[in-house]
Amino acid sequence: MKPFRALVLAGCVAALANAQQFQFNLDHLAAKASETVDISLNGSMLQLGAKFLDPKDPDQDKVKKLIGGLEGVYVKSFEFQKAGEWTPADLEAIRKQLKAPEWSKIVGVKSTAEGETDEIYLRSQNGKITGVAILAAEPKELTVVNIAGPVDLDSLAELGGHYHIPKVDVGKQK
Amino acid sequence: MDWLEQELKAALAREDPPADFAGRVMRRAERPVVYQWPRWLAAAAAVVVLAGAGMGYRQYRGEMAKEQVMQAFKIASVKVNRIQTHVLEVAR
Amino acid sequence: MIELQEARETALDFAELVKEHQSMVFSVCWHFLHSRDQAEDVAQEVFLGLHRNLASIQSAAHAGHWLRKVAVQRAIDAGRRRFRRPQVALADVAEPVAPAVERDPMLGETLRRLIATLPEAPRMVMILRYQEDLDPAEIGQVMDMPVATVKSHLQRSLALLREKLARRGLREDKWTG
Repeated sequence: MKPFRALVLAGCVAALANAQQFQFNLDHLAAKASETVDISLNGSMLQLGAKFLDPKDPDQDKVKKLIGGLEGVYVKSFEFQKAGEWTPADLEAIRKQLKAPEWSKIVGVKSTAEGETDEIYLRSQNGKITGVAILAAEPKELTVVNIAGPVDLDSLAELGGHYHIPKVDVGKQK
Repeated sequence: MDWLEQELKAALAREDPPADFAGRVMRRAERPVVYQWPRWLAAAAAVVVLAGAGMGYRQYRGEMAKEQVMQAFKIASVKVNRIQTHVLEVAR
Repeated sequence: MIELQEARETALDFAELVKEHQSMVFSVCWHFLHSRDQAEDVAQEVFLGLHRNLASIQSAAHAGHWLRKVAVQRAIDAGRRRFRRPQVALADVAEPVAPAVERDPMLGETLRRLIATLPEAPRMVMILRYQEDLDPAEIGQVMDMPVATVKSHLQRSLALLREKLARRGLREDKWTG
């Protein structure tokens, strides 16, 4: 009996195990936001969701293929009525964590005219990609994404072409 | 109007919608009106319907997980796409 | 008998309104959203909205004004709902380093692309000005925007477009059209 209970408990803990690779620490922004998206899907929830994706729907089929092998997807996105609700310190707290040796910044774009900052970081171990962090900041919107697992950035960008968004011709990146 | 404004008038001239656009509108207009449920009510109704149909909590969790998966990847892909647009424009 | 007649007239009127204004509604949506599929979806919704509210429309002219205003609102809403397209601020669009050309045969498409990168308010102002030939006061009424703001959007957008085109070698004196 006891060993069985222990096994069930261990199973539950594993299912609840959070594969998030860095802390967002952005919950304080929810009270100021006009809209908040807060998604936290560990491996088992991803697999559960994948089972319900329709392979006949091109968008869902693409996502189903992207999910394979992933350990978790975590998104926090806030939209605000006015600028100034999030501070650079909010992003710095995340960037500090992404300075760890396993992370490397591959893209950083800043548009001073629009007040936008966008960054992509890759996490790697033994030469393989094990995670992606996306920081996208605008005066009235802040989005942080962590995808844990072997992510194909090209396929992820290609998805954009499926959501009535013009596809960007992405050359193969080294 | 200067030359640019003339060109803008030409570039932004009205275009016809696809063929049979009017026909499609008329056919939809003749359909009975379907009440648009607010999203939260639709979700609650979905739970009741699923429970009533005996599909169970797992089915409900699966559908909810699927919606969250799609939303998460939509957000991520839009951001990556936007960043790559910026990079390509700057690199040109 | 009288009720039946009125119903038929309303149905005929609606069909006539669709035929008369479909280009205007579709084009506002298309030039704003830069996606024909989305433009058609939104345009259909605009006309279905008219159908639901037909009893409150007082005249054919009123219908035209109503359709334009609702098309503008619905297009802007659709643009916002769609998780942001990679909208590059016009000032950030880098210019190609190719040498100046006498004439760009794709100028129309270039202008449409540049317009599509404008933020939503100036983008719609430009569409109403150059597609619909509205003056700033009329644009202000459609968009519930002060006339001074409309004029500012027009001036800034035109100045930016001129700058962008000049860098591509497209200036009035080189235009042989």
